[in-house]
Amino acid sequence: MANENNNLLEVQNLKTWFAVKKGLLKRTVGHIKAVNDISFAIRPGQTLGLVGESGCGKTTAARTIARLIPATTGKVSFDRLDVLSAGGKDLKKIRKEISIIFQDPFGSLNPRMTVADIVGEPLKVHKNISGSELIERVAGLLQKVGLSADHLNRYPHEFSGGQRQRIGIARALALNPRLIICDEPVSALDVSIQSQILNLLKDLQDEFGFTYLFIAHDLAVVEFFCDTIAVMYMGKIVEQASADEFYHNPVHPYTKALMSAIPQVDPALRKKLTPFTGEVPSLLNPPKGCPFHPRCRDACEQCKLDLPQLQPLEHQSDHLVACWKCKKNVKVQ
Amino acid sequence: MNNKPTITKKQLPKGVGFWKDGFRRLARRRMAMVCLFIIFAYFAIAAFIYLAEAFNWQLSIVDWSSQVGEEYQPPSKENIFGTDFLGRSVLRKTIYGTKISMTVAFWASIISLLIGVPLGAIAGYFRGWVDELIVWLYTTLSSIPYILLILAFALVLKDKSISFSWLHLGTLQLSGITSVYLAMGLTSWVGICRLIRGEIIKHKEREYVLAARSYGCKNARIIFRHLLPNVFHLIIINFSLRFVSFIQAEVILSFLGLGAKNQPSWGAMIDTARLDLPKGYWWEMTAATVAIFFISLALNIFGDALRDSLDPKLRVQ
Repeated sequence: MANENNNLLEVQNLKTWFAVKKGLLKRTVGHIKAVNDISFAIRPGQTLGLVGESGCGKTTAARTIARLIPATTGKVSFDRLDVLSAGGKDLKKIRKEISIIFQDPFGSLNPRMTVADIVGEPLKVHKNISGSELIERVAGLLQKVGLSADHLNRYPHEFSGGQRQRIGIARALALNPRLIICDEPVSALDVSIQSQILNLLKDLQDEFGFTYLFIAHDLAVVEFFCDTIAVMYMGKIVEQASADEFYHNPVHPYTKALMSAIPQVDPALRKKLTPFTGEVPSLLNPPKGCPFHPRCRDACEQCKLDLPQLQPLEHQSDHLVACWKCKKNVKVQ
Repeated sequence: MNNKPTITKKQLPKGVGFWKDGFRRLARRRMAMVCLFIIFAYFAIAAFIYLAEAFNWQLSIVDWSSQVGEEYQPPSKENIFGTDFLGRSVLRKTIYGTKISMTVAFWASIISLLIGVPLGAIAGYFRGWVDELIVWLYTTLSSIPYILLILAFALVLKDKSISFSWLHLGTLQLSGITSVYLAMGLTSWVGICRLIRGEIIKHKEREYVLAARSYGCKNARIIFRHLLPNVFHLIIINFSLRFVSFIQAEVILSFLGLGAKNQPSWGAMIDTARLDLPKGYWWEMTAATVAIFFISLALNIFGDALRDSLDPKLRVQ
């Protein structure tokens, strides 16, 4: 039990639904279940990767955890603080200790502020630092992320995408947070820059012991970066395992299909693609039963009727999967 | 402990910010610079007249009310724009009219910005019932024909006084042009309010605003430090284009008899000249029209140039 309490971040049955309103009276006609009952936990110093295709609720989950979007129900505890209901001092602590690196390095920096103002603002807001001390601190942060103090008075548009993402990282580091939510930090960058930024994030983790919640849609990136990986599909986690297990023994049909889509350079290693067909169903009107069943080649009658829960595999308690078929034949070879 | 090299902002290389870049673009447009010069000249004339009145300088050019010759003299060397029905110099009247027009347009712009910008920002940022209330207010206001609304406001405000004694500022007499610019300011904030509201709605979903919220910026800080600087260029552009319409509105109001009393303004000049025109006395009308023409043209061209150089969406160079 002591082990469980060691988690830095615990998410339990988190739901974020958006009401769909229509008509003159703005009546609620349905809900978009962007995040629909997800649970996971991250231990200090670890990295959890959240993967899934566009629109599966990764970003919404991240923003709900950072309290930028109100949650519908569920519980998020960060270092034993209840994130979703915190106010006043507790909320201020959460704002200080959870920081976000955003996806779009072109949109996440205020174009009218200099780098010194952007990176220094968290310090100004939380620690009331100003003047030369602030400049010193900001210059220090810039050095940490591989920029120089010469950049202090420049504006975001004077930088390249990779440099801007470094500025965003410097801002996220400013308050010395414990949890950093990386919301697809590299997907807007060129491949050559991606590895630089990933290495930077990794080095920073080694140096300062940050905990990351790492969101991506690129499985190769996640493999390099994460200790644990969770796959989301239509607002739900369908499989969760340690990175090693995940890559060597994926069991959920959705995960398998995703893995087979990773391009292989060596033609000899190329496996037969097991792609799936069809589109992601409408979130407004999700299919009954397992949300993946309309696209799943292994779907059976039960899949169409009942929603599978995320449960551990028979011999591996840390490999969780939500699939009726996988539970029946645990040994997938 | 002072061995550590201290960095000061001033030594570091300067970045090229949005404003610096925008004005550099603007400075490259020769036409815009000529227009800016004309606008400055008009403002300078208005300021000069204010100074002359404040310090009681006895200058003939400011003294519009004395007779300089026979009535209805056509333009000549002595009187470039001729004389009016009382033998007063039309040129001096036109110059004096600059003061009235610029004052009215300036204050009306300021008032409409002071109402429109905060309301638009609040509506766009907070949304919900605040937004609905403000939208309802401006839709209602904008459904009333503009001239009628100004007339109504001007008539209601006319010859009233607002006491600022609780602020130890004395009393503001709403006579003559004061009621005119108050009326124009109070009725014309709708456009800028709508513009700012839309822009704020657009910007507040951007990631830089989310980022600011994620590290705990308060609403006021987000609005003033993040959102308004990003829409401020629109305010400036709107100000320059709005200015023209206020000058013209003042002319219309004076023409309708609601403007300046006992002081020459361009509108009042056109109003009197209207009856003289059939008799062939064209110069008073011409002088006032030319004065309006140059400032309108200059402001329009300058406003367009300002928009071209400041609006990032229009940057094509």
